[in-house]
Amino acid sequence: MNSFLTAFFAGTSQGAIYALVSLGLVLVWRGAGVVNFAQMGQAMFTTYIASQLIQNEYSYWSAFVIALISGALLGALVDLGIMRPLSSRKNSLLLNSQSMRTTIPVIASLGILGVLKALAGIFWAGEERGFPAPVPTTGLRLGNTDLAITGFDLFVIGVVFLTLVLTTIFFTRTGMGLAMRASALNPEVTRLSGIRVGSVRTLSWAISGTASSLAGLLVTPKTNLSPNTLDLLLIVGFTAAVVGGLTSLAGSVLGGFILGYVIAFVNVYSAPENVFLAILIFLLLALFLRPQGILGSKEVRRV
Amino acid sequence: MLKVSNLVTEFASIKALNDISFQAKPGRITTVIGANGAGKSTLLRTISGLERPTSGSITWFDEELTDKSVEAIVRSGVAQVPEGHAVISQLSVAENIELGGLFRKRQARGDLEIATKDVYELFPILFERRREPAGSLSGGERQMLAISRALVARPKLLLLDEPSLGLAPLISAQIISIVDELCKSTGLTVLLVEQNANTALAVADHGILLALGKVVADLPAKELIADSALRAAYLGY
Repeated sequence: MNSFLTAFFAGTSQGAIYALVSLGLVLVWRGAGVVNFAQMGQAMFTTYIASQLIQNEYSYWSAFVIALISGALLGALVDLGIMRPLSSRKNSLLLNSQSMRTTIPVIASLGILGVLKALAGIFWAGEERGFPAPVPTTGLRLGNTDLAITGFDLFVIGVVFLTLVLTTIFFTRTGMGLAMRASALNPEVTRLSGIRVGSVRTLSWAISGTASSLAGLLVTPKTNLSPNTLDLLLIVGFTAAVVGGLTSLAGSVLGGFILGYVIAFVNVYSAPENVFLAILIFLLLALFLRPQGILGSKEVRRV
Repeated sequence: MLKVSNLVTEFASIKALNDISFQAKPGRITTVIGANGAGKSTLLRTISGLERPTSGSITWFDEELTDKSVEAIVRSGVAQVPEGHAVISQLSVAENIELGGLFRKRQARGDLEIATKDVYELFPILFERRREPAGSLSGGERQMLAISRALVARPKLLLLDEPSLGLAPLISAQIISIVDELCKSTGLTVLLVEQNANTALAVADHGILLALGKVVADLPAKELIADSALRAAYLGY
């Protein structure tokens, strides 16, 4: 029973982080049609910024907030500085074919990932370092019993839950949220409604940048921070996004939690070295059984 | 008034619009007819900014529309209802209507509420079904929704691209007569593109016949209806 609870709580808190990564990927995929391989590079970079600030005696919370804001700015910068100029180059026949249109941004995102890793190496020497947690990472005790959950796990679950609630309110209750859903579903009708689709797209890059920056801040107290730490997180997050249907925000979050449980249970009941095999098997099963994703069907696509 | 002068729009060196000039009178319906491929949709898409003209100009009263972005053109009072009952089927009916007025939510919240009430009064069926996804509507209701989305922006000029496409004659006649009433009661200017010429010309002030990207006739609508030789030559009936 105790190992079950251990796996369950670890799965929930890890799944919450995967959900954030997956949400970030789906936001940019829906909003801009790009699979952003640089996403966790952006998160790594902003986590380094937070780490630097904490070293310079800033409080954890001010570093936390500044990292999130830099995540948003970095996301917007990637769109405005690289993706938008790439997509508006109309005079080349090569760039105009449909397959190149979808491939070029993906290659560009890999390039951005490389640049961010190199910059992190230059600025912070690329050595692995710890990243602090705002609450204890030791197991909680209730009376004389050890609980299978740490204070930091609760913190992660709470922060992600709050983020998801705010995101849901933003998408379903605000005009800007409606504009974002509409531009993802039908850019032409949205433009004909007078909405600046380009700005909406930049906004989805910014929100995605914030979500992945948050994921970086929440995962590094357990994994430490180096230019390559977050690469695995991208793979798991991408799997979660595909399992969730790639176009559904709710599906991406669900996919994140499911993957969290799969990984945690394999870790506890099998062995850590089987985790990647399990992810692969799970992805293949999901693609065979529900290629459109858990929530990828048309009716439930609305957030 | 809408003034189109010497408009040329090319797709990979094929001239979809070849030196088009005409004017549409304010507060009236101007109907553009022509066979498939005559350039009717391209004309509307060029006016609304979705296609860029190679040369020529489009002006709406004193405003030059030619090089403006789609969003800017909508914001200056020109709304297009694109071909094929273009609504966003995954969004609810109410969300589709809200989308049309979103850009002026901050400056004109009060008027937006009135405009929304107006379109629900114009098409009561949409009010009944406001919470349902637009994809569940019938073709006629979807066309009503597409028109409503454009109307909540309070346009001065409405560009309608084949509103009767795929609809039963009775329903398309009903939609066209509602547009006609709207023109008379609010002074809206309409540029209506149709393949189905008779109903569309019956409510129009002016008719323009397009063939292979050129204007072949620009006449009062009544004369265009009566000219059977012209119709036989260009429309085949």
